[in-house]
Amino acid sequence: MENFNSPQEIINFAIQSEQEAHDFYIELAGLVKFNELKVILEQFAAEELGHKTKLSKIVVDTEKTGLTAESVLDMKMADYTVDIQTKPDMTYQDLLTIAMKKEKKAFKLYTDLAQKITDQNIKEIFLGLAQEEAKHKLRFEIEYDEYILRDN
Amino acid sequence: MFHWTPDRSAFPTAGPDGKFDFDSHKLVKIWHGPNHPGVTGNMSLELTISGDEVLESKTHVGYLHRGFEKLYERRTWIQCFPTVVRMCVPESDSNEYNLSAGIEELAGIEIPEMAKWLRTLVLEMSRLQALLRIVPAQGGTVGLGLGVQWGVYLRDLILDRFEELTGGRIYHMYMIPGGVRGLLPDGFKERLEENLILVDEFVLSIKRLMLDNAVFKKRTVGIAHIPVEWIDKYGIVGFVARGAGVKKDVRLDYPYLAYDQLDFDPAISTDSDIYARTWIRWNDIITTVDLLRQIMAKMPKKGEFKAPTPNVLHWQVPKGEVYVRSESSRGEYGFYIVSDGSKYPRRINLRGPSYTHAVSLLEKMLVNSNISDIAATMVSLQTCPPEIER
Amino acid sequence: MMNLKDILSPFSAWRNLLKEPVTIKDPLTERPGAPRYRGFHKNDIEKCIGCGTCETICENEAIDLVAVANVDTKNGDSGLRPLVDYGRCCWCALCVDVCTTGSLTMSNEYTWVSNDPEDFRYIPGVDKKEWDNNDLGWKKPDYTLIPTERMDMEEMEPSEREGTFLEIVRGYSRAQAEKEADRCTECGLCVATCPAHMDIPGYIRAVREGDMEEGLRLLYETNPLPEICGRVCTHRCEEVCAVGHSGDPLAIRWLKRYIADQVPFEEYKRILGITSIEENGKKVGIIGAGPSGLSAAYYLRIRGFEVTIYEAKSKGGGMTMYGIPKYRLPMNMLESEIGFLEEIGVKFVYETRVGEDISFDEIYKKHDAVFVGIGFEKPYKINIKGEEQKGALQAISFLDDINKGKKVDIGKKVAIVGGGNVAMDAARVARRLGAEVYMLYRRRVEDMPADSEEIHGAYEEGVQIIPQTIPVEIIGEGGKVKSIQYLMAEMVPDEKGGRPKPVPIEGSEQVLEIDTLIGAIGQEADYGFLPQEYLDKIETNRGRMLVDNNNKTTLDKVYAGGDAVNKTADAISAIADGHRAADAIERMLLV
Repeated sequence: MENFNSPQEIINFAIQSEQEAHDFYIELAGLVKFNELKVILEQFAAEELGHKTKLSKIVVDTEKTGLTAESVLDMKMADYTVDIQTKPDMTYQDLLTIAMKKEKKAFKLYTDLAQKITDQNIKEIFLGLAQEEAKHKLRFEIEYDEYILRDN
Repeated sequence: MFHWTPDRSAFPTAGPDGKFDFDSHKLVKIWHGPNHPGVTGNMSLELTISGDEVLESKTHVGYLHRGFEKLYERRTWIQCFPTVVRMCVPESDSNEYNLSAGIEELAGIEIPEMAKWLRTLVLEMSRLQALLRIVPAQGGTVGLGLGVQWGVYLRDLILDRFEELTGGRIYHMYMIPGGVRGLLPDGFKERLEENLILVDEFVLSIKRLMLDNAVFKKRTVGIAHIPVEWIDKYGIVGFVARGAGVKKDVRLDYPYLAYDQLDFDPAISTDSDIYARTWIRWNDIITTVDLLRQIMAKMPKKGEFKAPTPNVLHWQVPKGEVYVRSESSRGEYGFYIVSDGSKYPRRINLRGPSYTHAVSLLEKMLVNSNISDIAATMVSLQTCPPEIER
Repeated sequence: MMNLKDILSPFSAWRNLLKEPVTIKDPLTERPGAPRYRGFHKNDIEKCIGCGTCETICENEAIDLVAVANVDTKNGDSGLRPLVDYGRCCWCALCVDVCTTGSLTMSNEYTWVSNDPEDFRYIPGVDKKEWDNNDLGWKKPDYTLIPTERMDMEEMEPSEREGTFLEIVRGYSRAQAEKEADRCTECGLCVATCPAHMDIPGYIRAVREGDMEEGLRLLYETNPLPEICGRVCTHRCEEVCAVGHSGDPLAIRWLKRYIADQVPFEEYKRILGITSIEENGKKVGIIGAGPSGLSAAYYLRIRGFEVTIYEAKSKGGGMTMYGIPKYRLPMNMLESEIGFLEEIGVKFVYETRVGEDISFDEIYKKHDAVFVGIGFEKPYKINIKGEEQKGALQAISFLDDINKGKKVDIGKKVAIVGGGNVAMDAARVARRLGAEVYMLYRRRVEDMPADSEEIHGAYEEGVQIIPQTIPVEIIGEGGKVKSIQYLMAEMVPDEKGGRPKPVPIEGSEQVLEIDTLIGAIGQEADYGFLPQEYLDKIETNRGRMLVDNNNKTTLDKVYAGGDAVNKTADAISAIADGHRAADAIERMLLV
């Protein structure tokens, strides 16, 4: 995956990653005991599908991808929370931690790739994708902030 | 001078025992009031006359339909405050003062110094505006209407001062239990002094127009004489008593508010006729103006104007009874207040001077008087029917 | 006596002919009223809270509080506004003087002509009038008709508090209570705000009138745990108190406590009239002896239900027993209130954890209805590195141990993570144990969810609050907590209007040496006791059971209340839930 020859390949790779994330959440939903968490995981999965749809709409034959490199608030929660093992009696806190860490990883992957690539056009696509992931992460972080850290 | 005496030989005469036979159908009964311009308010005199001489007079009240005192038994203490002023329209502040002072005495509340002075000021302003109206009105009863025009104008100026101090012209509702409802507005003293200078002129003009008037004297001197023995017999107070040579003034006899710090000596006469009573009240204007000037000079510049009270919405005034009095322009004006310790007064009873002046005294005075003197006699007692019919 | 002078003297009046007339020259020009004139009413409807004190004081009943378009009923606002009837008004302005918010005023306008008599009944501020923007006129003078200062509550000096768990608040004396009760305007805004809708003006009146038995009856109508609420209630009623708009709000909680303290428990049965209970043969099982469970138990029991409470711990009271430190709520109060429930026939089954010692299925099948008041028992982890080490505690279990009388060695320096009431309790308890206490909170002090009096108490007792700190790692040595590393945060405003977000500042690491770390960031419910077939039927939202207006869950004949249902996380909401559920259970089973 280090060698991308065209912007379309990169987008395809990103689409593939979102699909994998979707599958991961669906799998988790089958694992957890608690009804509500199943529903939440299915929501997460649906969101990933949404991201996928958004990416597939990008037309890459022009230079503009529609992805902008605006700055996204980073609460850095994913940085210092500990890793969670997937298990049947997971809590909402666990799920949110997993989700934001996953988005963080994707963000990091795209930023790292962007650094390695010299082609300015492709670099921008990666950075744009990274920002998309950062937005997804912020959504989970805000949720974590509001519902888990109510008293903090 | 022109003089005419009616032929009284045709009038019914008294029997051998000196008494008239009221069932003889020879006597005429007329109603003086309630819609008679010479009646001081909503009351009427049922007169039995022989020619132009009054043989018998009965005072009738019952035209006001109010029942304030009964109403107070169903009002909370604070709710009595806006209503008591209505018991005497021309001089409402004595009511406010008596209610507040009574509640304060029952509840053991000491009002701030500033409030005492402001209350004294308002009571004297109130006396002034009442006198400005009633003194020239004494001329009106004998056909001299001009002074009334002057007096009413000056009274309006005093009401302007009331308006800017209390927010109302007639019903001031200023003395609330615990103190008063506000301090003097800026420039108040100067504006009041301007008015007082006009009153000084007015006092002289009235003397020239009315007191030094041959017709007025002819109609009032020696008329409606009250013997001094009647003073205690009929519970006569205020200027009527002073007219008979008995100095009665609550401000001197039982000093309240800031009166013990003021220097004044109300006028006194021994003539005890309409003229004497008019002259005394004319003198009272001078005394009051002087008192107002003293008050404005002596009162503190600033300070607390209301002592804290319990929550007025359910104030349960401690059980007890109290009689509070103040000197109105008509004389001693008293409230008898009883609290059973509940949210509502058990009794608030008004004892105004008119109760005796217009009923027992007037009925007695009018016997053997001339019907043309009735209006002057009534006004010389300054009777106020709302005090009788509370 | 008469002379020539007397004949000539009156003619001096002729000189007035040379004077200017004093009458009004132009009758059409309006003469403005004095700046203090008591003219027509104005009302700032945004400021007005519809408390109706103007209506109460009006001796003419000229004021009616009416519903108004575009003004909604909300917390602390009845949604009603005064309508003035000028056929009755006497312009005494007592309504203005007594107005709690100062919204009602009068203009100095005094002339008004209209052919329609209905015009003279109007809602100031709503029905637009030309004097609405007139600044002159009578305003609330600088004095009060309702005392604005709260009766001081005597408290133990902060310096005396270390090392003791004696109750801080000493309670009102009779004179103090009556004086405080006197300040109430009986507007009832508090009743609407109180989750249990307690008859607050009613029991305050009972205090004023010295009728403690009536007071107790009123308390028990909506709240069977007044001793508890009188001490630890979050008193949202006081936040909306009308008197609080112009002074200190009524000390409603302390007055409730006063009533409850005056009546001995032995008298309760007689006063509340529960001398005999007619059994109705229906059985209700209650899981959890917290405030919601106890409340449901009381109202069900007095209506003749056979009530059994299953409690995992050895005593009832739930969080009030195990979570609230004894300096706020002495143990004997709780025990007496629970003892009273036992006395009227509520069965308590202690040390029985549903799901372990007895199955939920059994409870469900044995009873005609089940009430679940399990609370939020399971703390959230801080979820950072090193939390598994010795010396990293959870506030809930720490407070539990202290209340049980266990010795907990917390060392000399303690850090608390969190800023809610639980964190405050933990911090103040740690101070009483003699430790130096630091409180790490991610946001600013003003953002803390804890009650302001708790924050104030913590400060008084020497708790050091370090705001805007994000713990990132607990550093240990030999498996024991040694220090905590944290980042300083800056507050980034939330574009969507939520709480501002703390964002760590790069490179602002700080290390605080500590012996113990206590986490108090939040809790959640533990549904582990429910078998899968029930779990599937119970719908939840972010860990809280979904209930309808009757506090019924999505599971047939199962009701729920308390922290596991409502977000407010306080005892009074739990008590209200219990009451509501009891009413609904009665309707379901008996009607």
